[in-house]
Amino acid sequence: MSVASTESTLTAPARGSRGLTVWTIVLVALILLGFGVWIYQIAKGLQITNMRDNVIWGLYIISFMFFVGLSAGGLIIASAGRLFGVERFAPIVRLAVVEATVTIATAALLIIPDLGHVQHIYNLVIHAHWLSPMIWDLTVILIYLVLSLLYCWLYMRRDLAARGSWLALGTKDTGQAGRDRDHHLTYVLAWIALPAAVLVHSITAWIFGLQISRGFWYSAIMPPLFISSALVSGLALVTILAFIVRRSGRISFGDDLGSFLGGLLAVFLAVEAFLVLCEVLAGYYPGIPTDAVHQLFTGRYAPGFAVEIIVGLVIPFILLAVAAWRRRPQVVVVACVLALIGIFVHRANLIVIGLGKAPIQLAPGTPLGTPQSDGSSFATTSVYFPSIWEFLIVIGIVALAALVFTLAARHLPLRERP
Amino acid sequence: MSTTYPGVDVPDPKLQKATRLGLVVDQNRCVGCWSCSVACKEEQNVPIGMYWLRVLTVGGDAMDVPAGTFPDLKMAYQPTQCFQCDNPPCVKACPTQATYKMDNGIVNVNYERCIGCRYCMVACPYDNRVFNWRKPVQEPPASVTVVGETPPRFKGVVEKCTFCVQRVTKGLLPRCVIACPAGARSFGDLDDPDSTVSVLLRDRSSYVVFPERGTEPSLHYLLPTGPNVTGGAL
Repeated sequence: MSVASTESTLTAPARGSRGLTVWTIVLVALILLGFGVWIYQIAKGLQITNMRDNVIWGLYIISFMFFVGLSAGGLIIASAGRLFGVERFAPIVRLAVVEATVTIATAALLIIPDLGHVQHIYNLVIHAHWLSPMIWDLTVILIYLVLSLLYCWLYMRRDLAARGSWLALGTKDTGQAGRDRDHHLTYVLAWIALPAAVLVHSITAWIFGLQISRGFWYSAIMPPLFISSALVSGLALVTILAFIVRRSGRISFGDDLGSFLGGLLAVFLAVEAFLVLCEVLAGYYPGIPTDAVHQLFTGRYAPGFAVEIIVGLVIPFILLAVAAWRRRPQVVVVACVLALIGIFVHRANLIVIGLGKAPIQLAPGTPLGTPQSDGSSFATTSVYFPSIWEFLIVIGIVALAALVFTLAARHLPLRERP
Repeated sequence: MSTTYPGVDVPDPKLQKATRLGLVVDQNRCVGCWSCSVACKEEQNVPIGMYWLRVLTVGGDAMDVPAGTFPDLKMAYQPTQCFQCDNPPCVKACPTQATYKMDNGIVNVNYERCIGCRYCMVACPYDNRVFNWRKPVQEPPASVTVVGETPPRFKGVVEKCTFCVQRVTKGLLPRCVIACPAGARSFGDLDDPDSTVSVLLRDRSSYVVFPERGTEPSLHYLLPTGPNVTGGAL
C-alpha cells in the first residue's frame, strides 16, 4: 500500500458515501426550512407560536434546557472519566467532547428564536444586568463553549497535525513527547471542565429555581435534578452516537464498553428517579389541592408524567439492569432512546406545568394577549402544545447540529491512539 | 365658582416629591365596570387584545358570576394591574436592565432595551405583564396619539402598567384613579403618613396579594365587607 492511499483513508473516507449524501441533503433542506420559518416569525411576531401570556415559554426553552443538559452530561462523563482514571472510556472520550461542543452551541442558538425582539439583542452585552440568572447563564455558556473547543483541540491537535490539517492551528510537533504532554494537559483541563459542566447546568436550573413566582420551580433540588437529567440524557446520546460512529469504523470499541455504559446509565436513571421522587413527594404530601404537583397525576398533562416515569425511567432501567440484556448493543440503544425521550418529556412537563399553573391567572377576566378565535381576549384555561412553526424552527436547529456533528465525526480524528 | 382638584385640574406637587407611590383599591366600592381599564387603554394606547389593567371576578367561574347558589351568593371584584413592588422580582430577572425601578417607586419599562425574552413575565408572581405577540395594533394608531404621550412599542416587547408615569411626574393622578366612577381608587405617597393612601391603610383592614413572597406590592386592597362578598383576595 502506498503512502498516498494511507493518507487518503485518513482524510477522506469513502465508506457509506451515498447514504451520507442523502443524509446531508435532507439536513441542509431542514436547516433552510427552519431558517425560513424563523424569518417568517420575525416578520409576524411570536403570535405564530402557541405561547401566550399564561404559558410564556414553550418548545424553544424546553429544547434549550434539553441541549444544555446533553452537553453538560457529555462533558461530565468525558472529564470525570479522565479525572478518575476510568480508562475504559478512552475510545469514546473524543466523541463525547465533540458531542458536548456541538450541543452547547446548539443550546445557545435555540435561545435566539425565543427572543421577541431579537433586533435588540446587543443590549445583552452593553446593558448586561448581573443580578439576572439569564446573564449568568449566557456568560457561563460562552466560557464553557470556549473550554469545550479547547478540549477538542487538545485531544486532537497532534493527529490533525499529522494529517497536515489547518485545524491543528499551528501545532507541528507530532512526536510522542508532545502527545504525552497533551495527555497531561487534558487531565489539567478535566479539572476545569468538570466543575464548569456542573456549573453550566446548575445555572440553567437557577433560571427557573430562583423564581419565587412559580411554586413548581422554586425548589433547592432544581440544580441536582438538572444535573442528574443531564447525566442521563448526555450519557444516552453519547452511547447512541458511539454505536452509530462505530458502524462507520471511525472509532472502535468492544461490546463490553457498551455494556458498561448501559450499566452506568441504569445507575444514573436510578438517581434521576430518586430526585424526581423527592421533588414530587415534597409537593404532594402536604395535600394542598392547588399545588401544581397534582397536575402530574390528574388532568391534561398527566399522560406526559406517565411517559416520563414509565417510558423514560422504568423501562430503560429494567432493560439495562439485567446484565444479560445490556450486553446486547440493540438493547442498550433502545434503552438510551427511551431515556432521551423521558428526559425531554420531563423538561417539557417542568416548563408547561410550572408556567400554566400560576395562582392568580386563571381568574375570570384574564386576557391572553391576542384576540381569540371567538372574538374575546379572555380565557380561564391555559393549555400549550407547540405550533408547527415552533417545531420547524427547532427541527432546523437540531438538523444544523446533526450536520455539524456528521462533518466532525467524518473529518476529525475521533480514534484514540493506543 | 369652580373647584380645582390637585392632581386632576392642577398639578399636585406631593406626587412629584413622592418616594413610594402607592394605590389603594376599595373592594367595597368597586362595581366591576371596567372604566379604569378603558381609561387605561385610552391613556396608554394599549394595543388591542392586551390589558394593563383588568378587573378579575372573585367568585364563580366566569366574569361577573358569583359563587354559590341563590340566595347564598358571594362575589367581589379585584381590579388588577402591576403592583409596582418595592422588591420587584421582574427587575432582578431582566437581563438587559430594560425593567427598572424609579426613585418614586414606579417600576418602568424601557422598550428600546427589551429583547423580548419574557423572563420578567416568568418572574412576576401576579401575571401582570403583557407581551406584544404581534405588531401592536393600536386604535388610534400610535402615530396620531396625542393624549397618552406613551413611547412607541414594538412587536415582541413586554409592557405593563406604569402608574401613568408620564402624568405622575407632572403631578397628575393616574387616569384609572380619575376615571373610577365609584371612587374606589386612591393614589399617593405611602411614605407620607398624611397622604390619603396612608390614612386609608391605617383606618381600614387591607391586604396585599401574596405577602408571603416578599415582593412588597405598592397596590393595597381594602377588604370588602357585608353579607354578599367573598373574603377578598383570589
